[in-house]
Amino acid sequence: MHMTIAGRTRAAGWAERLLAVVSFGALLPGMAMRAQIVTVGDGGPGPVKAEHLTAELTGLNPQGMTQVAVGGQTQLGLVLSMEEHWHVYWKNAGDSGEPPTIKWTLPEGMTAGPLQFPPPTRLPLGPLMDFGYEDQVAFPLTLTAAPTMKPGKVHLDAQVSWLVCSSQCLPGKAHLGIDVELVKGPVAEAPLVGALGAAIKNLPKPLPATMSASAIGDAKQILVTLKTGTQEEDAELYPYDEEVIANAAEQQIESLPDGVKIRLDRAADSTALPKTLHALVELSSTEAYEFTTDVTPGVLPAPTMSAKKTGEAGQATDVTIATAVLLALLGGLLLNLMPCVFPVLFLKGLALVHSSGEEKGRQRAHGLMYTVGILVSFWAMVAVLLILRKGGQQLGWGFQLQSPGFVAVLAALVLFLGLSLAGQFEFGLSLTSAGGGLAQKQGLTGSFFTGVLATVVATPCMGPLMGTAVGFALAQPAWQTFLVFTALAIGLALPYLVLTIQPQWTKMLPKPGAWMETLKQLTAIPLFGTAIWLTWVYGQLYGKDGVDRTVALLVCFLVLAIAGWALGKWPGQWKGTITAVVLIALAIALPLRKPTVETLKWEPWTPESFAAARATGQPVFIDFTAAWCLSCQVNEKAVLQSADVDKDLVSKHYVLLKADWTQYDPNITAALAAVGRSGVPTYVIYPPGKVSNPDVLPELLTKSVVMTAVEKGAKPMGSN
Amino acid sequence: MKVLKLAVATLSVAMLSASAWALKPGNVAPEFKGTDSNGKMETLAQYRGKYVVLEWANQGCPYDQKHYKSGNMERLQKEWTAKGVVWLSVISSAQGEQGYVTPPEENAYIERMHAVPTAAILDPTGTIGRLYGAKTTPHVFVIDPQGKLVYEGALDDQPTPDPASLKGAHNYLDAALEESMAGKAVTTPVTRPYGCNVKYGN
Repeated sequence: MHMTIAGRTRAAGWAERLLAVVSFGALLPGMAMRAQIVTVGDGGPGPVKAEHLTAELTGLNPQGMTQVAVGGQTQLGLVLSMEEHWHVYWKNAGDSGEPPTIKWTLPEGMTAGPLQFPPPTRLPLGPLMDFGYEDQVAFPLTLTAAPTMKPGKVHLDAQVSWLVCSSQCLPGKAHLGIDVELVKGPVAEAPLVGALGAAIKNLPKPLPATMSASAIGDAKQILVTLKTGTQEEDAELYPYDEEVIANAAEQQIESLPDGVKIRLDRAADSTALPKTLHALVELSSTEAYEFTTDVTPGVLPAPTMSAKKTGEAGQATDVTIATAVLLALLGGLLLNLMPCVFPVLFLKGLALVHSSGEEKGRQRAHGLMYTVGILVSFWAMVAVLLILRKGGQQLGWGFQLQSPGFVAVLAALVLFLGLSLAGQFEFGLSLTSAGGGLAQKQGLTGSFFTGVLATVVATPCMGPLMGTAVGFALAQPAWQTFLVFTALAIGLALPYLVLTIQPQWTKMLPKPGAWMETLKQLTAIPLFGTAIWLTWVYGQLYGKDGVDRTVALLVCFLVLAIAGWALGKWPGQWKGTITAVVLIALAIALPLRKPTVETLKWEPWTPESFAAARATGQPVFIDFTAAWCLSCQVNEKAVLQSADVDKDLVSKHYVLLKADWTQYDPNITAALAAVGRSGVPTYVIYPPGKVSNPDVLPELLTKSVVMTAVEKGAKPMGSN
Repeated sequence: MKVLKLAVATLSVAMLSASAWALKPGNVAPEFKGTDSNGKMETLAQYRGKYVVLEWANQGCPYDQKHYKSGNMERLQKEWTAKGVVWLSVISSAQGEQGYVTPPEENAYIERMHAVPTAAILDPTGTIGRLYGAKTTPHVFVIDPQGKLVYEGALDDQPTPDPASLKGAHNYLDAALEESMAGKAVTTPVTRPYGCNVKYGN
């Protein structure tokens, strides 16, 4: 076996042989004990080259010696620079490996803190996973000088050992040193420069008070919820505890509006659920937090659709982008069949058939220029789109399907475009006449602009499909958007290009007719289907508020349909356009509104909770309601949730019970009968005291009625 | 296209869950079939009724070398095989990776090191390694005569390649076998194994 050793090799002497024999019995009589790992370096300052890495102790001072005040502290660092493909390990090395260690020999009065570990990266090795560092890593540490020390230059000595691996592993040792100058007065704070400075900046921070972490675990997984106050798209969790999670398993990330959820597979051989989890979560290359959280045993909620996986994302994207490009190509081809494009194609094809032989070469050139015209128009659109998106991102808009606002706008867009395709209205008609002059130009320039014109002319029927592509493209990385639009452009240009090469194929084309309009209407069906799916996604993003939020989106759709009607009634006229724009703005505002947060806590009514409420001696307010009861909803939203009533109920210490009769609970039916009612809405106030007659409010509530009743009910019976 | 992405993701999760098969002490050790360095077929079933130790090895790994070059591993093998334990060394290094050996090479190594395993199973496809979740070399698994796993993890509590660490090290394998043979519950049934990662192929 070959184990390359830097430095001197020691030949095994007779003493060693004897030692081997004596220590380990007669097992290895002729076997020499090979030299241990050789320590490189002599303890002097500066970098030391070892096998596959260079090790150095540094300070923050870019020129000259590190200074530390007597009685003060300074930051030092152990910097390891690895050869390409070699890595060292984090505190928890993962499935295999060992983190570097350091042993100091310090002058009297000086103490060194432990090595601090910056956030690692995942190092996959087949089915295993290690956590560590490639290229270069700096481990900061704090050096403290006691006040009793005398100013002057001192030398610090350190024995460092590590394990550096690529496909093989080599343990290594180095004897490093650094000179430090002790000074009397205060030392200026050193700037955080270099590898050490960057490492200090990126060390994981403890969780601030504004953030929180929690974890639930079951037999197979642990779900960590990190609330940071902002939506997090990416997170990687590195456990400090070994053997708790399956290191190699993908971590499923679910973005939350105020944080992130990370779903981890537990280690295959872990027997009991750990009581706590000590982990590092890296949110970006500059933001990482370290925390310890209790792990409560429980049932994990099912993962939502928007979850994505670290590492898995790359693979899934490849499948998706290939599909998207293919779909875009087909979409482009399909566009040729639209009523605004096909007749033109057909006529141009006929013209080609009737052109003479020597013109064919020129026709091919024209075909190419036409294609280029289309491509350039599409690329211009992509450029504008990307600029808008960049600008939007600066404003903090999130263009992902995890962002409820984006999903709502996309759903509304898709629905609106579907309405157009279905025939409710046309848009972009005025564009049809534009650019006609340019296309009149002769020669190749003319063909170029004909291509551009084709793009523009096709807008009325292409617009909806294009809009959908645009909508989805906003959520993808720039290069994918570019590819999709290029595929779309090629799809659109392809038939004409083919016809210029083989004009006789024009005979194969069907004649333009009413079928084109029907086809256009049929393409609305998948668009409506997409709108339904996006509505579902939108609802999912809100969890238990999902149904309420979905209703807001559906109302938005209704208003959009009215806007579409306006456009259809007054095509191309200002009155139609303005009405539509106003309605659209109103429609979009609905789902984007922040939902009103319910400040009151309503307990569910059961015979037990009712008895308990009465036993507290406080006034009780019971709201008998049902989801299908419209007047109940109106009363609740308009009156019971208004600020004044809220304040009153809270200040008078009312116990609030909500009896949900949506499923016709017999207990609730009996309770209604007890107050002489048979349906909902019913509102009952029980004043405090053991025996009291309930006060039943009228079915239609107003603020004054409620507030008067609340006032009266707050006093015990017979004390008015 | 998003539906497709979801479908791919779901399928991957399903496959991954299937492979993250929980093997912990108390579970029945999985059946395997392998060929040893003498061309003989080795299965777990054929050793039912005896204690079986599976020891993942890689002659190039400094951690494994610590135990072999010092004679520690050979001593353990001799001691326990004398007590009727079946000791199977398993080499799961893929071809072209460190530790990969052909049968004659492995036999030569065994002879040179004076090792005395019952057999050395060559597992270049990594099937047995993945089946057991072998992560490092060395990584040991102890199976009782009823076919249940009683210990899996490191050989001792000194996760360093330094041979000086062998002195005074607490040997988990010795402890597990002694306790199990005495009919007692194993105090430390699982430890984090240390060593070089098993060189599985891609």
